[in-house]
Amino acid sequence: MSDMDLVVEICGSAGEGTISAGEILSRFMSEEGYDIMSFDSYPAEIRGFGKCVAHTRVGRGEVLTPGKYSDVLIALNDIHAIGQLPVLKEKGILIYDNKPPKYHLEDQSVVGWLEPGMIPYGIPLTELSIKASGNSKARNMVALGAFSALFGIDKTSFIESVKRRYGKKKQDIIDSNVNSFLEGYTWTLEHVRKIDPFRFDGTGAAVKRDQLIINGNEATAMGALAAGLHLYAGYPITPATKIMEIMSKELPKKGGIFLQTEDEISSIAHVIGAGYAGKRAMTGTSGPGFCLMSEFTGLAVMAEVPAVIVDSQRGGPSTGMPTKHEQSDLNIALNGGSGDCPRVVIAPTQVDECYQAAVLALYIAEKYQTLVILLLDFFLSNSIKNMDHPSPPDPKYLNTHVLPDDGDLPDFKRYKITDNGISPRTIPGKTGGMFFATGLEHDERGKPVYDTKSHTLMTEKRHRKHAGIAAEMIAPHITGCEGAVDIGVVSWGSSAGAAREAVAHATAKGIKAACFSTQFISPFPEQALRDFSKRCKKILVPEMNYSGQFANMIARYMERPMERLNMVTGLPMASEDILKKIEEIA
Amino acid sequence: MNTTRPSYLDEQIASVKDKGFLAYRTGELPTWCPGCGYFGITDAIYRACLELGLNNEDICAVSGIGCAGRFPVFMNVYGFHTLHGRSVPVASGVKLAREDLTVFAVAGDGDALGIGGGHLPHVARRNIDITLFLFDNSIYGLTKGQSSATTLYGQKTSSHPGGNPDSPVNPVKLALAYGASFVARGFAGEPEGLKHIIKKAIVHKGFSFVHITSPCVTFDKLNFTWKNLKENHSPIDENLHDVKDMEAAMRMAEHERFKLGVFYHDSKRLSYHDNLRELALKGA
Repeated sequence: MSDMDLVVEICGSAGEGTISAGEILSRFMSEEGYDIMSFDSYPAEIRGFGKCVAHTRVGRGEVLTPGKYSDVLIALNDIHAIGQLPVLKEKGILIYDNKPPKYHLEDQSVVGWLEPGMIPYGIPLTELSIKASGNSKARNMVALGAFSALFGIDKTSFIESVKRRYGKKKQDIIDSNVNSFLEGYTWTLEHVRKIDPFRFDGTGAAVKRDQLIINGNEATAMGALAAGLHLYAGYPITPATKIMEIMSKELPKKGGIFLQTEDEISSIAHVIGAGYAGKRAMTGTSGPGFCLMSEFTGLAVMAEVPAVIVDSQRGGPSTGMPTKHEQSDLNIALNGGSGDCPRVVIAPTQVDECYQAAVLALYIAEKYQTLVILLLDFFLSNSIKNMDHPSPPDPKYLNTHVLPDDGDLPDFKRYKITDNGISPRTIPGKTGGMFFATGLEHDERGKPVYDTKSHTLMTEKRHRKHAGIAAEMIAPHITGCEGAVDIGVVSWGSSAGAAREAVAHATAKGIKAACFSTQFISPFPEQALRDFSKRCKKILVPEMNYSGQFANMIARYMERPMERLNMVTGLPMASEDILKKIEEIA
Repeated sequence: MNTTRPSYLDEQIASVKDKGFLAYRTGELPTWCPGCGYFGITDAIYRACLELGLNNEDICAVSGIGCAGRFPVFMNVYGFHTLHGRSVPVASGVKLAREDLTVFAVAGDGDALGIGGGHLPHVARRNIDITLFLFDNSIYGLTKGQSSATTLYGQKTSSHPGGNPDSPVNPVKLALAYGASFVARGFAGEPEGLKHIIKKAIVHKGFSFVHITSPCVTFDKLNFTWKNLKENHSPIDENLHDVKDMEAAMRMAEHERFKLGVFYHDSKRLSYHDNLRELALKGA
């Protein structure tokens, strides 16, 4: 098969090198020009012998989802791997440790649980690991050697890739890994008869592709750093902690400030303080921390101070499921806090989009002097994707303060009513530019007032900014059939990848379908959605929450009947589930 | 008809203008009640800034909510009236982003010791170079006289008409225990002494905690009145108290609740920015 699309799961116990084997495989396949997407799972508890699964999908075309079912299961630990068999496809392949008889207790050998039609390849992983490296720790590399031999992967290229990854480590560690790989590779070629159809044809190219292999948190942090972030204040919380750790390391190198605060209230307070002082600032959190920030979101909008909050959603409500995926913070992102409080909400749909979304978030917050919420989720934060090295942001996105003319400074109207809602602001230190900012309603000079006219004019001014922001928003992404279709799938956030994939499969099956997804949730591309819905007979809105938060929000723009697909599995949206629903209602 | 003002008023205005500290005032008339102690505190802050020669545009005053929260409305600097209890972390954010600015955090007793009490230990242990002015009138004034964290035990308030069942916190002792590198107490009725304390606090490079007692003339007619505060307050004898001695400061904070002056001053400790530079040098 040249049009390769393979889902590989490596399953082992914590400490067996399961996740690192997945990383090595992902990196190598990306270098060879394949698209990859990985989504690993490991125990929430740090210690112990919990189950780890490195899940990677490798494809020739654009890989949009990690895939719900696997083609290949590599079992480093039999007991744990038995639990992964339900997601192995009907004709799936098992690579397992072919240990001596009686090694296992009855029923604890994974190969004993295979269904008819599945293909087992027994490899003496432990024995070969001991032979090659003196201990059983290198079973992951033996398994990768066996995998490479079975699926026609170029041996030399793979070894070069491993060497690049371990470049800074000691020579004996590199040797042990390479030898174990070769041991598995050679043994498999000599002893195993291949009976499955899968084969990678494209490996071993002379020129390797140089790409980033990163997750959404990393892409977000990279984007913010490239956009001139000066201060990051944060409090540890899953799944956003990684952003904080990157900032702690990278910001000081750029002359910026990283602060670990006492709570999320303090985080957003520091961001708003820095924003007031004229610097780009950001915080990152998840649902529970975002709740604590609600009061400050109102202050940012009212006092017109730039602020960016990253909310990586997890299972809720309350502490909920910290290491599980959900898209259920949309309501609080759009409506949290008191009063009429227009804010910008951007929800990237893919890892590479996180980078540009972070740049845009800081730009919009600064130029429009308002609050921007970057809505990620557990899956986007943790899924790993290959992406091109991003080019530096367009200078128009950097340093975008709207400053007053010196002639305006005597009797300076900081909150001047303007057509676009943006009032020129002074930065502390500017002579004669002193002003008073407040969360109270105020007049054009910032003086607290409570009269009908001022509150009306100021409320309108704050809302007017959204027209300008809407003109700068990223256009919705529309795929699938053109013209009239039977089913239009409307999606947001990380579910959009699954929606696009489902629509592609539906189209291939002869169903006329199209997909609409948008990164901008507020302001929202209303007209584009109205136009899209007009060419659909039915609309389907799949999302990972119970109440249909996005569907409820967009119902008012719908010109056609709307069906919903709501799931709270704690797992990323699967294209298979959307496709099933499409077929049901088509 | 003669409508001219009495000539002594013009003379007074001229003499005040000559002194220069009016430059720190805005055109807004303070909204505090006549007789409020906060006028005295504000006056002392203006004079301290004048004597230190600070430029208006290089000062940022961040306040919380309550009577004290209105302070930046009346001071001609970069003012930011934030949320209840949050002046300290916002001021800290301003300072971290802009080391060149002189940053004040203004908080009432409800702000700094009630709703925002959780931020104090952290700004103190980080030693962020801001000055906290704690305007303490021992009452929630703007909401009309409820008990605060410094209201006396048994004091009758609108939230505790039968007497306050809670005991008050000791703000100076708290600040010392949290590790603030500069801790002092002033009194709104002693603006000259308060001014000297404020000058030292602003110059100190690190977190300065200035506890300022002040009467609420509207909602407390019995306890922290002008008369009682004036009678009880007395200055710290600078010859007998060593401001570098933490134990002596702690003892005095515990036993002398009305002493005025600098309790503790550690000028050697590095500020947050200096610490970052120090760690970067070690890491390099």
